[in-house]
Amino acid sequence: MTDFFKLLARNRLALAGGIVLAAVVLLALVTPLLPLADPDVTDTSNRFRPVFSEGALLGTDHLGRDLLSRLLWGTRLSLAVGFAAAIAAATIGAAIGIIAGYYGGRTDNILMRGVDMLMAFPYILLALAIVAALGPGLFNALIAVATVNVPFFARNIRGITVGIANKEFVDAARLSGLSHTQIILSEILPNVIPVIVIAMSTTIGWMILETAGLSFLGLGSQPPQADLGSMLGEARSALISNPHTSIVPGVMILVIVMSINLLGDGVRDALDPHLKSGALSRPMAATRVARQSAAPKPAGNGLLEVRALESQFHVKNRVYRAVGGVDLYVEKGECLGIIGESGSGKSVTALSVMGLVASPPGVVTGGAAYYDGEDMIGAPYRRLRDMRGRNVAYIFQDPLATLHPLYRIGDQLVEAIRAHRTIGKAGGRAKAIELLKAVRIPNAEKRISDYPHEMSGGMRQRVGIAMALANDPDIIIADEPTTALDVTVQAQVLTILDDLRRSRGLAIVFITHDFGVVAQLCDRVAVMYAGRVVEEGRTADILETPRHPYTRRLMACVPELGGGKRRLEAIAGLPPVVDNLPKGCAFAERCLKAKGECRKGDIPLVSDGTRGVRCLFPESTSREAAE
Amino acid sequence: MSLFHATRRGMLAAGTALALTLGTLGSAGAQTPPGVLIVGQIAEPKALDPAAVTAVNDFRILMNVYDGLVRYKDGTLEVEPALATGWEISEDGTEYTFSLRDGVTFHDGSTFDAEAVKFNFDRMLDESHPYHDTGPFPLAFFFSAVEGVEVIDPMTVRFTLNAPYAPFLSNLAYPTGLIVSPAAVMEHGAEFGRNPSGTGPFTFAEWRSNEAVVIEANADYWDGAPKLQAVVFRPITDANTRTAEMLAGGIDLMVEVPPVALSQFEGDAYTVHEQAGPHVWFLILNAKEGPFADKRVRQAANYAINKEAIVNDVLEGTAEVAAGPTPPAFAWAYNPDLEPYPYDPEKARALISEAGAEGAELTFYVTEGGSGMLDPVAMGTAMQADLEAVGFDVKIETYEWNTFLGNVNPGLEGKADMAQMAWMTNDPDTLPFLALRTAAWPDQGGFNSGYYSNPKVDELLEAARVATDQDERARLYKEMQTIVQEDAPWVFVANWKQNAVTSDRVESFSLQPSFFLLLDDVVKN
Amino acid sequence: MTGYIVKRLLSAIPVLLGITVIVFLIMALIPGDPATAILGSYATPENVEKLNRDLGLDKPLVQQYFIWLGNMLQGDFGTSFALNRPVLDEVLERFNATLFLAGTAFVLSAILGVVAGVISAANQYGWADKTITFAVLLGISIPSFFLGMTMILFFAVNLRWFPVSGMWPIYGDRTVGVLITHLTMPALALAVVATGVIARLSRSAMLEVLRQDFIRTARAKGVHERGVIWRHALKAAMVAIIPVLGIQAGFVLSGAVYIEIVFQWPGVGRMLVDAILKRDILLVQGGVVFVAACYVLFNIAVDVAQSLLDPRIKT
Repeated sequence: MTDFFKLLARNRLALAGGIVLAAVVLLALVTPLLPLADPDVTDTSNRFRPVFSEGALLGTDHLGRDLLSRLLWGTRLSLAVGFAAAIAAATIGAAIGIIAGYYGGRTDNILMRGVDMLMAFPYILLALAIVAALGPGLFNALIAVATVNVPFFARNIRGITVGIANKEFVDAARLSGLSHTQIILSEILPNVIPVIVIAMSTTIGWMILETAGLSFLGLGSQPPQADLGSMLGEARSALISNPHTSIVPGVMILVIVMSINLLGDGVRDALDPHLKSGALSRPMAATRVARQSAAPKPAGNGLLEVRALESQFHVKNRVYRAVGGVDLYVEKGECLGIIGESGSGKSVTALSVMGLVASPPGVVTGGAAYYDGEDMIGAPYRRLRDMRGRNVAYIFQDPLATLHPLYRIGDQLVEAIRAHRTIGKAGGRAKAIELLKAVRIPNAEKRISDYPHEMSGGMRQRVGIAMALANDPDIIIADEPTTALDVTVQAQVLTILDDLRRSRGLAIVFITHDFGVVAQLCDRVAVMYAGRVVEEGRTADILETPRHPYTRRLMACVPELGGGKRRLEAIAGLPPVVDNLPKGCAFAERCLKAKGECRKGDIPLVSDGTRGVRCLFPESTSREAAE
Repeated sequence: MSLFHATRRGMLAAGTALALTLGTLGSAGAQTPPGVLIVGQIAEPKALDPAAVTAVNDFRILMNVYDGLVRYKDGTLEVEPALATGWEISEDGTEYTFSLRDGVTFHDGSTFDAEAVKFNFDRMLDESHPYHDTGPFPLAFFFSAVEGVEVIDPMTVRFTLNAPYAPFLSNLAYPTGLIVSPAAVMEHGAEFGRNPSGTGPFTFAEWRSNEAVVIEANADYWDGAPKLQAVVFRPITDANTRTAEMLAGGIDLMVEVPPVALSQFEGDAYTVHEQAGPHVWFLILNAKEGPFADKRVRQAANYAINKEAIVNDVLEGTAEVAAGPTPPAFAWAYNPDLEPYPYDPEKARALISEAGAEGAELTFYVTEGGSGMLDPVAMGTAMQADLEAVGFDVKIETYEWNTFLGNVNPGLEGKADMAQMAWMTNDPDTLPFLALRTAAWPDQGGFNSGYYSNPKVDELLEAARVATDQDERARLYKEMQTIVQEDAPWVFVANWKQNAVTSDRVESFSLQPSFFLLLDDVVKN
Repeated sequence: MTGYIVKRLLSAIPVLLGITVIVFLIMALIPGDPATAILGSYATPENVEKLNRDLGLDKPLVQQYFIWLGNMLQGDFGTSFALNRPVLDEVLERFNATLFLAGTAFVLSAILGVVAGVISAANQYGWADKTITFAVLLGISIPSFFLGMTMILFFAVNLRWFPVSGMWPIYGDRTVGVLITHLTMPALALAVVATGVIARLSRSAMLEVLRQDFIRTARAKGVHERGVIWRHALKAAMVAIIPVLGIQAGFVLSGAVYIEIVFQWPGVGRMLVDAILKRDILLVQGGVVFVAACYVLFNIAVDVAQSLLDPRIKT
């Protein structure tokens, strides 16, 4: 609950809305105590006094009644009606929704058809008819407004309930012999209440507007009672000659509805992190670059050369140093493996190269990434876009999420080509088929018009690879492309990648946490931990003689090649949180051999040209390590 | 970001396009064509069949399309010949023989003659008439005294009444007495109301639902062709919109200007017309039960309500304070000696305490608006405040017009203590006869919803109805007014001065005391 | 797909039947009767009773309902008491006008709302986003009748850019150009609220989608940011936006009542309000059933559009 308020308070707009609303509510509550004129006393000879008249701060209305007094009393009434109508509609609507969603079947069908009927009935006419049937008066208007909003709640809540009713904990409750009523009250309701509150907070404003609308049609409160709607309705006839009588209640309605909406948005964001409606931000077209110092010069080795790359995530006041100065390179035709646990910064390193780190919150704060001598960190978006997919292509993990669900895969392939050159319809199709064949998708001519969800995981990943190949890039950065696949499919995908590398002279940067995969595919490998490279060298050398204790422990988790998904959690402890890196060796906490010096200062990567390790006490031989 | 540049460019282009479009549309507020008068009406007419309608709004169109046997002389409520050139009344006052105007044809080409007159009245009154089912005819009771209509010769027709009935001629001048083309009724049946045909100065041209009724000049009109080419009646229900149309030049003539909007038309570009008419706005008091069963409390209500303030402030001077049940517009029947109840809250309080009705709770029926009701909610609220000031506890219940009538007409007993009401009539007989007699209590088919009963008043009204001499009738009505004012079955509030606004392009327009809108002499430049 | 449409159409039948029952019951429950309305001030209880008998309103309710339903199924919606004309003629004519108004407003609000939402999301927290968010909040907080009246005063009375009211010029040709001048203000006034709601929803749907992995894929392919936003993200966001468009269409149709009154638009909403007030039973019943049927059909069309857009939906 305190979290809720903290979240709410953090949203400045919602806070402003909340403060304004609280002020209005407070004002409404203390209205009876204020030294105001009687809101109902008429003084027709002093009608339509302008704003700031003596004795009538906001002027008077068409019967000479004090507008300030009527405004405050009216606000009081309108707020009460709005809240009451929202609560009534929410209660009844939620009851219908929960019953329909929980019981399902025929009950659901009948209730929802009823709701459909109400929804198909133009709501103003329904409200009008209800008021005409019940007689005039604010209370009846309230009933009408509540009634027409019941379907809205019923529909929303039903949807949520259906989702919850099939969850395990509900099944468990059922098995434990709880009655339906008990289940609904103890299991369903608590989970639905946040949604009800969200829906309510967004409809209260609407309710106040609707009662104003009914008053416009002459169906609101009874004179002389003031509510904002009837004030507006009564003032309407004098709109041309005395606009202030309309503007005064109009502005108050505006203030209330706006503040309720702002607060409602905040409540929604705070209560429902899944909805994330704008509470979190969307990534921009390219990662923000804010280098603290000048870009380091290229050392001149490799087609792609990453120098001292630093990438961070700025979330509120905290800074997560995801990549803390990484140097890498890959030659033409070479395959470089980057291996590490989740959160080691390997993906962020790879995504930083082409500015694909989600930003906000990501920022590249230092270093450079040279493609053929040209620094891509800080390159203008235009240039970056031009090179994405054409020079450097990416393959991602989980192709179901990374392929667009609503486009046919053929179209997605053609689009990849079109992003960089013009190609005719037939030409595009032919090229797409050719690409699918290149990744050994059988029956490519037919498959081209499949949607991603119609394919198996392995097939989808092949599409992902085909898409990366579309513009014959020089470098492919594959970010855990086989992680979501089962072992046999994984092997097939790896074979395809390996073949392509050989046949096309591709440079591949292969990111994985699986040494088995590295062994199968990579020429060289870099091991990352807590945002830095801790060991690098030729794959065979490292496999033979891992020198960093971390590498060794990582390898120990993989008994044999291609052994599939191996859990790295076998290493005791967790990687450090990158917003609070320890001084010295980041691995020291989990390292069995750590000594005092390890925690003192920065430890450099000691390299002999082909082999490098960031450890003060590296392992000596492989034999030793194996024992 | 380049995305945004593109969008901004797009917005700029869209803005330019909009500006260009607006430029070419600059003539949207163009002036209405000369010779065509555009009238802003308050509602869509129900029908253009004079026998079938009851609303003043509809009468405004009908009076320009049809003629009756007689009509009101310009600017008065006195009857003069129209389709009848003259008439004779039998000694006993039960036979009216009319000689008809020769050579008049209906707009559909059929001839106006005695048969046509007979057809009109038989259709309304004779349930066995083949076209009686083209009704209903809510105001047929205006002619309930008519026993038969006889064709003496093609140009002479005789009405036989079951008893002398003084208001008969006046009722013939009322829209219910307008003569329609029998041929058109036969052709269109129940659809006649949408395909009207009469003998009036304008012929019906077109009725576009909820947009306009168009009538065009009848060049062959027997009383001289009108000066306008055409008149367009636009129904504009919202008073603000009607005012805005008038200000924007979309209409040339606007009726029933809302009091608060009058100040908008003060300049030279507009002329505001005013004309008092036979209208009375009152509160029915429930004399059968509750505090108002006591005459003193009814009088107290009359003293308590500040009618001057209502008339001058709420209604911005568009009405005058009413003194009694008969409006001054019926000059010959009005009792000029009556003084309105003055605003005297002290006296009201005294009367209330005398009657022991302090703090009485009153239920007050108020309507949202309706025929002749002016600004009922504002007026009702002001009255409520006045009544509360002298110690009543007043609860308002508002209803839209039809529910309101459904509640009030069957009588207030058991429901309410007071109700708003207004009547516009054409004869001093109508209102008191239908709403003040003992025999007019709701259960006997009348409109005396407050159950007022005074045998003397009953007697006077019965006598006035059969009296053929106008001076004698005047005497009876004046006496009736004195008694009724003293008895205070109603709170007498206001007599409306009908108003209208014309633009400076409209000439020779004047309002009629009958509340009709006569346009045959109007000129538009 | 055809099977799906047929299934949806069949499932609409009980809904429509239910609506006939509801509207019939409501009209039966409302106090007051058409006879009072027809007879006006001169309605004595006696006359009212006679007229109600003539109109067939003295029969048992159930019998009245089935007579009405039976006639309607044969295409006979009866005759309006108040207007003396066949209900269907009146409804069709008036619905046509409403369709122009509400249709334009809906298309306008859908386009403006989605575009505003997309721009807002694409420039999150930028000045465009803030401006749009503020304008949207303002839009959904102003009663439309108030906005309409203000627009009339400003644009029609003061600036004289547009005619005050009505659908067609009272005199002159009925060209598309003049229709547009008459349509502009009411359509805008009507569109404001729906635009706001759609923009808010589009923004959050877009933000949700923009964080998805396939957006990164599109960027990694080198697709231009315009394509990423307006093709990839928007298409995926439409899955969440389209159902809301369906609901908003209903709101626009209902909101048209106020606008039709303020702008004197000869539409079906105003007709129905009048008809309810005049107890014009057959006109209310026929009109509501007609409007509801159109709404139900429109929603089926929305569902079909949704299934065309999203191949993952089983039809």
